[in-house]
Amino acid sequence: MVKILPKVLANLLRKPFTVKYPYEKVEPADGYRGKPSITKEKCIRCWQCIRACPDRAISVDKETKTPVIWLGRCTFCGECAEACPTKAIVMTKNFEFLDQYEK
Amino acid sequence: MTMVVPIGPQHPALKEPEYFRFEVKGEEIVDVDIYFGYAHRGIEETLARRNYKHNIYLSERICGICNICHSTCYCQAVERVAGIEPPERAKYIRSLILELERIHSHMLWLAVAAHEIGFDTLFMLAMRDREHVMDMREIISGGRVHSATNTIGGVRRDVTPEQIPKLMEKLDKLEESVKYYINLFQTDRTIKSRCANVGVLTKEDAIKLCAVGPVARASGVKTDIRVEDPYAAYPNLSFEVITEDDGDVLAKGMVRLREMLESIKMSRQILRELPSGPLRVPVDLKIPPNEAVQRVEAPRGELLYYIRSNGTEMPERVRVRTPTYASAPSLKPMFVGGTVAEIPIVLWSLDVCFACNDRVTLVDAKTGKVSVVTMEELRRWRK
Repeated sequence: MVKILPKVLANLLRKPFTVKYPYEKVEPADGYRGKPSITKEKCIRCWQCIRACPDRAISVDKETKTPVIWLGRCTFCGECAEACPTKAIVMTKNFEFLDQYEK
Repeated sequence: MTMVVPIGPQHPALKEPEYFRFEVKGEEIVDVDIYFGYAHRGIEETLARRNYKHNIYLSERICGICNICHSTCYCQAVERVAGIEPPERAKYIRSLILELERIHSHMLWLAVAAHEIGFDTLFMLAMRDREHVMDMREIISGGRVHSATNTIGGVRRDVTPEQIPKLMEKLDKLEESVKYYINLFQTDRTIKSRCANVGVLTKEDAIKLCAVGPVARASGVKTDIRVEDPYAAYPNLSFEVITEDDGDVLAKGMVRLREMLESIKMSRQILRELPSGPLRVPVDLKIPPNEAVQRVEAPRGELLYYIRSNGTEMPERVRVRTPTYASAPSLKPMFVGGTVAEIPIVLWSLDVCFACNDRVTLVDAKTGKVSVVTMEELRRWRK
């Protein structure tokens, strides 16, 4: 009983290991593969991203003639961002979008 | 008089759908039939219908826990088929992420094993310390679980010099906690009474039933693909193959815990000795007809990939043999003679991963009886 007392006190006084997530944000590490974003002005319409995508998640928007990513299919591998010659597609650090419907 | 206790396919004790049919005499297990195939996804066929580069991401998704082993094994097999050699630095980075995966897989094993024996404090502690490995994986590969780091002919991402001190710091924290768990496994009364002399697999049985990985090593069989068939940077790394003699659940746990220490040591060595150079070599994906077999030591044991190419951008056949499939027959001697209350921990001592496993349907025949598969059943399976 006496032996565990210092441990009990130390555990009572220490901070918890978890964070209160929705109120307290945790920044992912640099180079995190989050939601891919497309800058439409930079796109040169070479369609390398469509060839590189392993999930066939990228299609062409009929009106703007630029690639759009279907996030329901995307596996966030980052092959499209690697293949893009003008860096029009980049992987952002955003991972808090999965609750929103987007096509 | 024996009674049949079915466990699964949907059962709260198992996290994945699998059917076990236990024949019990009172509390004692007399016989067990194992029916696999409930998580069949047709991945081998799909692998033969997509091109080599797209297949990397599919092979990663055969199993979430050992995704790097699958993609490394797949990429190395394709490299062997195409006859190319990845650069030295790529090999070292591959070994680093493989070892981090081993640590995280064994940490998860420890957590769930503690949960199965009703020791939920240890479950929480193990999950807390696993977070360090997940953070390291996020720093190196950009994703907590799926790394997407391997590619044919090398790796896609580099380990920068700024990341190394951060990684070293986390490795120190990990080593401290793993040493604490080893001490706990050696001294704690609860763990000893639930794990010692339970689910024993003798050395003869382990050899006879071709057990692989930590299961075989816990029974005193010195087998490790990293030594027997070296790949990536393992020929240049110094490590010892951990074995225990008892073959019970406690020995299997000790093997995994001590392996974690070895992995931490190896990760430090890799970070110190990381050679400079390019990350990947260009590959022509139109690979001429050839075939190759590649083996990798996954956290659960030997993982095997066989690839046959036919001159196009798609492989003609990919065969995957996962460690759980190889170790599954050794479940029977571990169960028989034990009690019903031991089922969860004995099952988990194999570190079963059914998602990996179910690309084939296997029916274990009862002793002395031959099970006949009717045309009707075959037709049902095919659908």
